Amino acid sequence: MPRPDGTREDGSGGEELDARTVKNVARIARLRLTEEEVAQYAKDMDDVLNYFAILDEASDLGRHDFNPVPVSDVLREDEPSLDISPEELRAMMDTYQEMVRGPRL
Amino acid sequence: MSQCRLSPEKLRALNQKYHVFCEIAEDLGALDEYPPHFHFSAKDNLCARGFQARAGSRILEGYRPPFDATAIARMKRFGGVLLGKTTMDEFGFGTFSTNSSHGIPLNPFDQTRACGGSSGGGAAVTCLLEDHVALGVSTGGSISCPASFCGVFGLTPTYGRVSRYGLIDYGNSLDKIGLMARRPEALRTFLPVIAGPDPKDPTSCTQAALDLSPTKVTRVAVPEEAMANLDRGVEAKFTEALDLIGGGIGIEVKRVKMPSLKYALAAYYIIATSEASTNLARYCGMRFGVQNKNVSQHFNDFFSETRSASFGNEAKRRILIGTYTRAIGFRDRYYLKALAVRQSIISEYDRIFQEADLVLTPTMPFVAPSFDQIERMRPLEVYQADFLTVPPNLAGLPHISMPCGYLNSLPAGMQFVAPHWEERRLLVMAENWNKQFQTRFPEGCP
Repeated sequence: MPRPDGTREDGSGGEELDARTVKNVARIARLRLTEEEVAQYAKDMDDVLNYFAILDEASDLGRHDFNPVPVSDVLREDEPSLDISPEELRAMMDTYQEMVRGPRL
Repeated sequence: MSQCRLSPEKLRALNQKYHVFCEIAEDLGALDEYPPHFHFSAKDNLCARGFQARAGSRILEGYRPPFDATAIARMKRFGGVLLGKTTMDEFGFGTFSTNSSHGIPLNPFDQTRACGGSSGGGAAVTCLLEDHVALGVSTGGSISCPASFCGVFGLTPTYGRVSRYGLIDYGNSLDKIGLMARRPEALRTFLPVIAGPDPKDPTSCTQAALDLSPTKVTRVAVPEEAMANLDRGVEAKFTEALDLIGGGIGIEVKRVKMPSLKYALAAYYIIATSEASTNLARYCGMRFGVQNKNVSQHFNDFFSETRSASFGNEAKRRILIGTYTRAIGFRDRYYLKALAVRQSIISEYDRIFQEADLVLTPTMPFVAPSFDQIERMRPLEVYQADFLTVPPNLAGLPHISMPCGYLNSLPAGMQFVAPHWEERRLLVMAENWNKQFQTRFPEGCP
């Protein structure tokens, strides 16, 4: 099956994951890459994604749980508490008066 | 009782030689009353008051958590003195502890070789200091691998057995806190200390009670698939170990087939990178560690600036892979398929456990490699080195690595896997083995 970005059909041969795709993924992940990094990661990702294609032949039971053991929600009443003092937390961040500084929205 | 009187100065001298700690306690006061007090270390992705928690990453430089991880709090309550935080691959991303921003630990058996990863510093400290117990963390083999390369016992409990509160997440459905020690008796002592439900981590609250009462191990299964691609020396040592298990210890060794194991590595790396890429979104220059002072720029530029400058090479690679495999159009093929394959692998283990108490394989396909050898490996080759440690980690099954032989004075390891919540079988097996097998440790304490 071709990939949606059209780079490759299966694990055999073919051209490497293209630079445009790597740059696009990096943008979504909030990473800025140099041209050398783009070239290197294109090669590495291509290698790894080809290997992942082995899963295409795996049969499965059609169930996809998110945890390896059953995990159920454990609910309790909301109980307000102050485990860590806000001053201590603010001391670790860039603050102005009692507020945390952040970038422009 | 240890022959070595520990002090911060002695630890610093040890650290200069082996780079096992990224931070050392300034005061070991309570160790004067040793015993009942005992010393332990914690991997740097576990939060401890008074120490930085940087998880091997530059992006967490300066982060000082104002609380103790549950596992650390429980060790302290039991009389433990925290010697320091141990070096590791950035966020656990590695097989050799070479992706570390705060020192690359050197193997105590040969300093030109790696300790294994990602809990490399902890395994090396355990090897160097008598009576030490290290808290490690395993996502895909990060306790078994370094335990194998450093010749110690490394126990990874069932997923959910030990609270992850205060652990810096890598993969939430895979991360497990465990123990490393020179002797299995220490694992038996400290597992009940760190295990048990904790309201601060809901995944720990549905666990079966920890039962360490006596049990018998009568049959172990060795999957054929695990015997491919092994270094010949490791294969020979493993075969000798099987003879001892079958002969001296009197446990039946049964050869089995587990065809789904060949899918474990791909499924693991898809799930692990998918989860990692979302977990690492929180490191953006504001909340933890490195603070970006350049607040006048657009938030996307602000986040990208810090992340690009501070994440290491392997962290970026895994973020990219994980972002790709979760993307629209690929999610079904990679991420959901990997989750489904994980269930198939769990079912296959269940089938084997109908006829055997434990599954046994070598731990790593080779002994500790030299730093030169590691330098020449492609990223995929590094991932593939984990093919024996990944399956039980993916399946959330408890497992233990223990030394099974020495190859040119370097330890080789074997790994036993038990059904969910059956850690006691692993401890019984380890104690039986330790009675028959002579472990070796290099001179450590200065």
